[in-house]
Amino acid sequence: MGFISNFSGGQPDLHPIATPLVLVPIGQRWVFETRATFENDLVQLPGRSGFHGGPVQKEVEYAQLDFIANSCVTITVGRFLTPFGIFNERLYPVWIRNLQSDPLILPIGIGPSNASTGGMIRGGFKARPQFNINYAVYFSALSTTSPVDSDRFAGVRTGIFIPKARLEMGGSFQHLLEQERSNLFGFHAIWQPTLLPLDIRGEYANSKRGSGYWIEPAYKLSQLPFLQNEMRRTQLVARYQQFFTGDLVSDALPPINTKQFEFGLNYYFIDGLKAASNYGRQFSSAGNLNVWTLGLTYRFVVPMGSAGGPR
Amino acid sequence: MRRNWMLVCCLGVMACLVRSALAQEQERSDKGSAVVASAGPSTANSNASHDRRSPPALRSTASAERAQRIEGEKRFRTNCGRCHQPPHKFPSRVMATAIRHMRVRAMLTDEDMRLILSYMTQ
Ligand code: HEC
Repeated sequence: MGFISNFSGGQPDLHPIATPLVLVPIGQRWVFETRATFENDLVQLPGRSGFHGGPVQKEVEYAQLDFIANSCVTITVGRFLTPFGIFNERLYPVWIRNLQSDPLILPIGIGPSNASTGGMIRGGFKARPQFNINYAVYFSALSTTSPVDSDRFAGVRTGIFIPKARLEMGGSFQHLLEQERSNLFGFHAIWQPTLLPLDIRGEYANSKRGSGYWIEPAYKLSQLPFLQNEMRRTQLVARYQQFFTGDLVSDALPPINTKQFEFGLNYYFIDGLKAASNYGRQFSSAGNLNVWTLGLTYRFVVPMGSAGGPR
Repeated sequence: MRRNWMLVCCLGVMACLVRSALAQEQERSDKGSAVVASAGPSTANSNASHDRRSPPALRSTASAERAQRIEGEKRFRTNCGRCHQPPHKFPSRVMATAIRHMRVRAMLTDEDMRLILSYMTQ
């Protein structure tokens, strides 16, 4: 759940958002999971006081059934977040992301509405004592019914995770099975050095509709010698990103080459409750722009019914 | 041309990351390996299978449990703060569901999941 206020080029915009997630474990090997979003955009209208919004927008982001076939294979069917790169599947929820704005390259490879309709096989296993391998192979069918629209494509993402170094690196590949039938690819890395309270994430994506990268270091101030209780809850974040237009155009991507630098400060109150602020400056030939965001996000978990239990 | 440069930069960054990761691993390899061997993918109630219990066996069960707990905590620290803030403990039923979810989403290995689950539900 979150309350995000955005000031883009000086225009304030309040953005309350709630994303309930329902998990239903069935027996020992099945899980049904679904997440919906309820959001509204409240803007100031000229000549009127206060903020005004339209109807609340509702959307089912995913609804999938997972079958844990064995220690290395899970089979998923339904509508699932497309595992191209890491942002969409792992970092998207407002309580997780370090900066409240989306990376410019986010729309690359994830399809309309960020999700695929089809099937996926995924899993993780220990390949050697020093590292684990994870993989996801998926297929999505064309669906034009909004809001459950998706493109027809097939893809794979794999990663290698070295637990001792807390480093994960990987790549994504996707083949579009419609339109110009092009290939898309990307790389990602997440590193949390064991000696520093630092978190570095980055991604690169390439498609016919554009390419680009972002890199985002985040540092918890727990090593400062003063106000330790407050400082260990405070996180400084920076993100630098660049987008380059491709041969084809896409409504979801910037129409011109764009660079963006953002800086943010997060404060973690208690488990799940976070205050977030960020300032960004966008540079493009259409003019430069300041983007401010202030927000409060909260993740909580409520048990419902009596399904499932410790395995 | 520009794309080629970006590719080269990405590969360069990755190469640096791998190098420092391997260096770190080298540094820690002598400290780290002691506990790992004794921690199998067993859950908290797997003691039932130890039926021939002589006193030394009992002692070794207790130390195996301790090692398992330490290993569980270690795996929790390495895995659960990678994408989001590591969560606090929840009631065990909720935890089991959340960890099953994370197993699918985060593609945790079977062993990691079991150790983390037993650590988080103790
Ligand atoms: C690969 C990234 C990743 C890792 C590693 C990860 N999580 Fe998560 N976690 C997520 C995402 C993404 C969500 C949000 C799911 C959603 O909203 O669809 C989440 C949500 C949660 C939630 C909220 C309830 C739920 O199930 O959605 C809990 C609790 C949680 N994670 C615990 C853990 C624990 C414990 C671990 C360590 C075993 C862990 N996570 C490791 C990505 C990760």
